[in-house]
Amino acid sequence: MTNSICEFEDADLFLVTGSNTTAQHPLIGSRIINAVERGAKLILIDPREIPLAAFAELHLRQNIGTDIAVLNGLMNVIIEENLYDRQFVADRTEGFEALKAAVSRYTPAVVEMITGISAADLTRAARMYARADKAMLAYAMGITQHITGTDNVKACANIAMLTGHVGRPSTGVNPLRGQNNVQGACDMGGLPGVFSGYQPVSDEAARKKFERAWGVEGLPAQAGLTLGGMLEAGRKGALKALYVMGENPRISDPNLGSVDLALSSLDLLIVQDIFMSETAALADVVLPAACFAEKGGTYTNTERRVQLTQRAVTAPGQARADWEIIADLCRRCGLEAPYTHPGQIMEEIRSVTPSYGGITHERLSKTYGLQWPCPNREHPGTAFLHSAQFTRGKGSFQPSDFTPQGEATDQDFPFTLTTGRIYCQFHTGTMSRRVDLLEREAPEPLVEIHPEDAAKLGIRKNDLVEVSSRRGSIRLKADVTTRVPRKVLFTTFHFHEAQVNLLTNPACDRTSGIPELKECAAAIRRCP
Amino acid sequence: MKLLAKKDVPELLQAWSQRYEVLSPGTTEQADCIFGAFSRDSFTLSYRKPPMPPKAALLPPSQVIFTIENGRYADAASAGRTLLFGIRACDAMGILQAKSFFQRDGSDSYVSRRSDESVIIVNACSGPQNETCFCTTMHSGPYADRGFDLQLYDMGETFLVEEGSARGAELTGSQFFFAIGDAEAAGRIRTFRQKAQKAIPSVPEVARAMNILKAGPSCDSVWERLGKKCIMCGGCAYVCPTCTCFTVADRVHTAMNGQRIRSWDACLFSGFTREASGHNPRPTQASRLKRRHEHKLLYYNKIDTQAMVCGCVGCGRCSDYCPVHIGTLEVVKSIAEQVGQ
Repeated sequence: MTNSICEFEDADLFLVTGSNTTAQHPLIGSRIINAVERGAKLILIDPREIPLAAFAELHLRQNIGTDIAVLNGLMNVIIEENLYDRQFVADRTEGFEALKAAVSRYTPAVVEMITGISAADLTRAARMYARADKAMLAYAMGITQHITGTDNVKACANIAMLTGHVGRPSTGVNPLRGQNNVQGACDMGGLPGVFSGYQPVSDEAARKKFERAWGVEGLPAQAGLTLGGMLEAGRKGALKALYVMGENPRISDPNLGSVDLALSSLDLLIVQDIFMSETAALADVVLPAACFAEKGGTYTNTERRVQLTQRAVTAPGQARADWEIIADLCRRCGLEAPYTHPGQIMEEIRSVTPSYGGITHERLSKTYGLQWPCPNREHPGTAFLHSAQFTRGKGSFQPSDFTPQGEATDQDFPFTLTTGRIYCQFHTGTMSRRVDLLEREAPEPLVEIHPEDAAKLGIRKNDLVEVSSRRGSIRLKADVTTRVPRKVLFTTFHFHEAQVNLLTNPACDRTSGIPELKECAAAIRRCP
Repeated sequence: MKLLAKKDVPELLQAWSQRYEVLSPGTTEQADCIFGAFSRDSFTLSYRKPPMPPKAALLPPSQVIFTIENGRYADAASAGRTLLFGIRACDAMGILQAKSFFQRDGSDSYVSRRSDESVIIVNACSGPQNETCFCTTMHSGPYADRGFDLQLYDMGETFLVEEGSARGAELTGSQFFFAIGDAEAAGRIRTFRQKAQKAIPSVPEVARAMNILKAGPSCDSVWERLGKKCIMCGGCAYVCPTCTCFTVADRVHTAMNGQRIRSWDACLFSGFTREASGHNPRPTQASRLKRRHEHKLLYYNKIDTQAMVCGCVGCGRCSDYCPVHIGTLEVVKSIAEQVGQ
């Protein structure tokens, strides 16, 4: 997020797309609701009628997978009607002419044909967003989990730069991170091509710095594999060993049939987790890990806030903190791992990561955390990013064209299946499905289908149905609801009883490798 | 009547810790005030309304009530001798209400074994703790008139100590307490009470909303509006001193081994009333909010409310903590404004 969570309170306008905010980020969703109640405006771009729709001035329900056309269409109106921020574009950005040329084809009429959003609504949304004083754009997996995920994200950045809606309080671009520490994992280099703090492995100076810090030589200059790439290499026999920590790809990854093939082709599978997950059940070695309450350390949340936690209870049995397991493993591999406390690891992070340079356990213990960049011990942390300039200097407009979704519907698979999450369960359920109250609230998988489609197929609420794609089929109960548009099915990946990722398409974004979990062609029928 | 010097309080609590599990106000490293296990290092007397009411002392958020080991039943619910030091009058009333509820239709032994031997020491409020306090409206504060063993009145360097039970009188027998003439003490307490009472504004919308609900005009427009924005976190029930709903679940480890747990529940969750068939008599968030607030303001039970105004003790926590501002104060004001006109 370029902004902070509390800044949602003071914005004038929100553009929310691909985020069921009240369900997945309820404390951000509630701030949006409070702001709307005091007069702020909400533009929602989402195919489903999520709870925030009740608070939206405009709800644009685009055809799934047409986000770039929507965003290009908005930018086209903003440029055509001279509503863009000339000063910001001139001073802070480059590549405007190329953007203008690229989006000029996306007239409201063309966008209406592609996206299903009326030209009038699109135009109104563009004017509202451009004219707002403090506008916050927020998005989540609905933008990223597409084969055009990277381009979708760039389009979000483009429209914010075009209107100067970035770099001020309550004004910016806010990808809402889905887990308490997914920001921290990325910050620490849990990505194929970077060291901590997004220092690229291709940068020789960065490599030298880490070689010195770690007392090693020859750190690779090439980016490693993405998760999808690892599984593919496993299937081909090119990858021999996989060490999985706190991840459950046997439920969470697309086209599960091929995930099992990849995992069983490995010579060695190590899984480190707090519970015996589906993936751990296949492992050669299971390393029991301590849960959040059984270890100390830090988490970095969606607003870049690094927060310290203390151990509250002792870990059961052989379970140990992740850092203890990894340090012990290092020692057994003959490496030095001179850590006896997570505070020492934070000191190492500080020494090699400029944006974490001023973050120490001692400072964290006296505050509610520090937001990076926090380059030195005197620095108070940063509430919002890009106030004077962007990380690279000038912001670069990177336009892209709409391309149709990876898997088209046809006569046999006439529905678009989209997947997501619900309020009372978390991811593959390894944790939330062990909580009695959550399990009572959301005990079983449901597939949402529009009443008109359901009537045609003789499906009633709570009927058992079979949903299938070109890769597999699952059985679950139907929820007949106008929450989904016609010809769209929605379900979640929380339930092992009906693993929707047996159906999903493994096609990936070519830059980031994120799979297209938000759309695949599917069929549905009532089980006899 | 007795006097207690404030500087002696940590020593006194240390002494009481021999016999009781002492819960008292304390300060965290981040300078927040919470109510928890007494420790000399974190103990403080400059505290305001703590975020959580003390109901966890009777009804823990989650509690193993029995275990089955190799097919054999064993009662596992813990007993307790808790000493609650310095709770507020509204919270003492919350405990009275909760105890009364748990003793109706047969005593809840898991609660009574934690509450029967417990001690309640109220610190009377000299004024509002924050802007959401409305105990004077609900007749639950700023001082307690029953439901305490000892009540403290802040006189600056000392506390005046009022005894509310034989157990309380026994506790003031130690060297920390000094006698003071009853007539003088009564006068000082009277002055304290009058000043405190005046300092906490009353909220006339409570009575108006209760009358509107009783008279029966539809308040559906209020429930619909609030239901749309409720994010179903259940926080209002968790911070409420009089919310005592719980759920029971079995954790089966192996065929002959497991535990039965009971834990806090909230009537704002859809599964709270969902029936086995899938039918839900409270199918929408609006209908669940209606039920919750009618339970406090309309369908309260005269026995359980200890002859108080209703099922709400006016602590204001639901208004303090609801992320979308659906506390009792906002609800009664909405009803009074929207429906009353």
